[in-house]
Amino acid sequence: MPFIEFERVSFTYPESPRPALNAVSLTIDKGEYVAVVGANGSGKSSLLRLLNGLRLPGSGELRIAGLATSDEVGRMAARAAVGLVFQSPSDQIVSSSVEEDVAFGPENLGLPRQEIAARVERALTAVGLWGERRRASHFLSEGQQQRLAVAGVLALDVHCVAFDEATAMLDPEARLKVLDLMDGLVAAGTAVVHVTHDMSEASRASRVVVLDRGAVVFDGSPDALFSASRDDGSAPAIHALGLPDCVALAVALGLDPRCGESAAAIAARIVARRGTGTATGAAVQPVAAPGTASIDPVFELKGASHSYLRGTVNETESLRAVDLRVGRAEVVAFVGRTGSGKSTALQLLDGLVAPSSGAVLAFGSDLGSPRADLRSVRMRAPLAIQRPESALFERYSGDDVAFGPRNIGLAGKDLVERVRSSMEETGLGYAEFRDRRTRSLSGGEKRRLALAGVLAMGGDALLLDEPTSGLDPATKRSILALVVGRSMQGTTVVMATHSMEEAAKADQVAVFADGGIVAIGDPRTIFYDRFDPSWGLRRPFACEVAIEFEARGISLRQRPLGLDGLVAALAETP
Amino acid sequence: MKGIEFFRNVSIGQYWPGSSYVHRLTPATKYLWLVALMVAGIAATSYTAALLPLAVALAIGATAKIRPGFLLRGIKPLIPLLALTALLQALFSWPGDSSAVLVALGPFAFTAREARLVLMTFARTLSLMTVVGLFTSVTSEGETVHGIEDVLAPFAKLGLHPQRLALAVGIALRFVPIIAGELESIAKAQASRGADFGSGRGGPIAKARAYLPLFVPVTVRALERAELLAEAMEARGYTEEGRTRLVSYPRQRGEGFVRLAAVAACAASFAASYAIHHFALL
Repeated sequence: MPFIEFERVSFTYPESPRPALNAVSLTIDKGEYVAVVGANGSGKSSLLRLLNGLRLPGSGELRIAGLATSDEVGRMAARAAVGLVFQSPSDQIVSSSVEEDVAFGPENLGLPRQEIAARVERALTAVGLWGERRRASHFLSEGQQQRLAVAGVLALDVHCVAFDEATAMLDPEARLKVLDLMDGLVAAGTAVVHVTHDMSEASRASRVVVLDRGAVVFDGSPDALFSASRDDGSAPAIHALGLPDCVALAVALGLDPRCGESAAAIAARIVARRGTGTATGAAVQPVAAPGTASIDPVFELKGASHSYLRGTVNETESLRAVDLRVGRAEVVAFVGRTGSGKSTALQLLDGLVAPSSGAVLAFGSDLGSPRADLRSVRMRAPLAIQRPESALFERYSGDDVAFGPRNIGLAGKDLVERVRSSMEETGLGYAEFRDRRTRSLSGGEKRRLALAGVLAMGGDALLLDEPTSGLDPATKRSILALVVGRSMQGTTVVMATHSMEEAAKADQVAVFADGGIVAIGDPRTIFYDRFDPSWGLRRPFACEVAIEFEARGISLRQRPLGLDGLVAALAETP
Repeated sequence: MKGIEFFRNVSIGQYWPGSSYVHRLTPATKYLWLVALMVAGIAATSYTAALLPLAVALAIGATAKIRPGFLLRGIKPLIPLLALTALLQALFSWPGDSSAVLVALGPFAFTAREARLVLMTFARTLSLMTVVGLFTSVTSEGETVHGIEDVLAPFAKLGLHPQRLALAVGIALRFVPIIAGELESIAKAQASRGADFGSGRGGPIAKARAYLPLFVPVTVRALERAELLAEAMEARGYTEEGRTRLVSYPRQRGEGFVRLAAVAACAASFAASYAIHHFALL
């Protein structure tokens, strides 16, 4: 008997015209590792909520360990058997202290105190947070909070843990920890269901299920999926997923693709095929840093510091004496761990927070001076804040985008035109989305709408705080193309990101650590010359492979940042 | 330049971690002392009696290594309110007030009786805020919540649900910073699209008006966050019946005496007030 069994399950949200899940049939066995992928709004989250009995099938039947979730007994059994970990870490914390939060589930089971204590210890040890058990849960970092959420379901002694994009908001280091945790669970015999947009993450699973508009369009091994998605005849939904970097590189070089292959392994295969004798490339040519920042910076931080909760016992310094110059039409990427000061630096740039010391200049005006017109600075350099859910405030999508242009003074036809063009630029059809309630949009749609609202300002600069987190691969690519396109037209872009592939496309990369900029330079300088593992970041995959070549005594003529560059460099290298 | 930051203005007491005897007392005992000292302060009819809880709170604070300044600071946000009561006392006179006029300005007079009332209000408020400050500085959020459960446990037989109530209080406390954070996020989102916040322009009324458009979205977001939390709780099998609890608070040595002392202190303050009133001892 399979552990989880969907039998032609359909499910429709009360206010939605179309089903979120449509006749899904699927089985998951004990101890399996299944990734669930698909575009934003394809029904992945609904699938997970059904698994745990939070939602009930509209038609069809879902059985967990042989019991249908449609009755009370089966529902409680499902809760005890399948644990859910959600995307946003802080929304899952119930109690004020770490150990009490983990105890919440066992307390609901009515277990005796000693048993709860034993389970809490086991769960916290498993996620590596036993040392933090007495701390206040909201003072943990986001990565720790996400591991706390995992501990919270482990304490229920579940047979399956389902992760709903649980790595989307985490920095590379924390993300890796959660992924390792998943491997550990699978090794211990717990089934893992992992909803993700990241194909490299998905390929860690032994099986991938692809959802498209509520239906299962693929169910098989990652290898089978990625060979299917290379086929032009495959379903568009599968094609749009893209490939993990190692597979994409292998395909581009005509090698046999292997899912989950490391940079070292693929570099070795490439070297083996070429033969070691021919590999004597020319010396690396250093690329001059672009000189744009030298003339008239758009933004400038001079020894700027910032403290939150100034004058209270919880005062924390989030930025410490930061210097930064951003030139016109430059794209600058902020990278670094969560809490390293990236968001604060972005907010300093348009005067949303005030420096506690030092100076901030934007468009030549000193934001610290009492005469500074902060409102017009903010309108010239609008900021898209991190959580799109907290950035939308109007009832209807069209009105929300119109908020900014109205403040600039646009009205009538001009206003409609501005709203229409910005919505379509982010891939939200004006006619379709204009009258949709902002609260009814999916996570990805909310992010795009928030971005449209900022683009509609038509500013000289864009400040973007993790603009692509939580987006599906296709949307991610289109948003990034849009950002690059805007900078070509002369817009200055400063964005915080956890994706090193995105950062590699910027003109300058600023690395934040503990409230300061510890390195700044063009992406090659950062990822090749100055890269430091203590930053808690990783290199783009193409860099990792290129460095493996260097380690084998092969220098490429160009130091690549992306896969295309790597393929081209390999072709040039004799 | 003014930035947008709401967290700084959110403070309902701050826990000052420590391992003193006072810190280690069970939450129920701390609640008992909180109520005893507050009742004593409210019932006081003389300056000495009104300020006595303050002295006791500072003394207890000293043994727990809580600085007096930290405790006395609690009065600060209430000073405008106290000033207003003083003004009202000055503007309106008590019927049959025959006490000496201290200051007279046209038709308005400030009498000795009014002065006494103003000073008593101030003394009582100062006492109460210090007592509350002491309680919050030695009681963690978890203890505050579980304490409610423990104190009200005897009333469960009367149909009260102490556990449910404690959970509600705990979540309410957890939502204070969440709401402040949402308020800040939405204000920042609006400000970066041209709404006028924190730019330091305009008079107080214009500034207050700028905050009006925040209320609906913040309320909606608060409800959404509540729904997410409810979902997370439900996913972990939340039930009202038959829940158990991980944390327990073992009684400290001599805690029974500490509890008795609270009752005695309260009774003594009543007795003292009564004595002062009837025998005009002071």
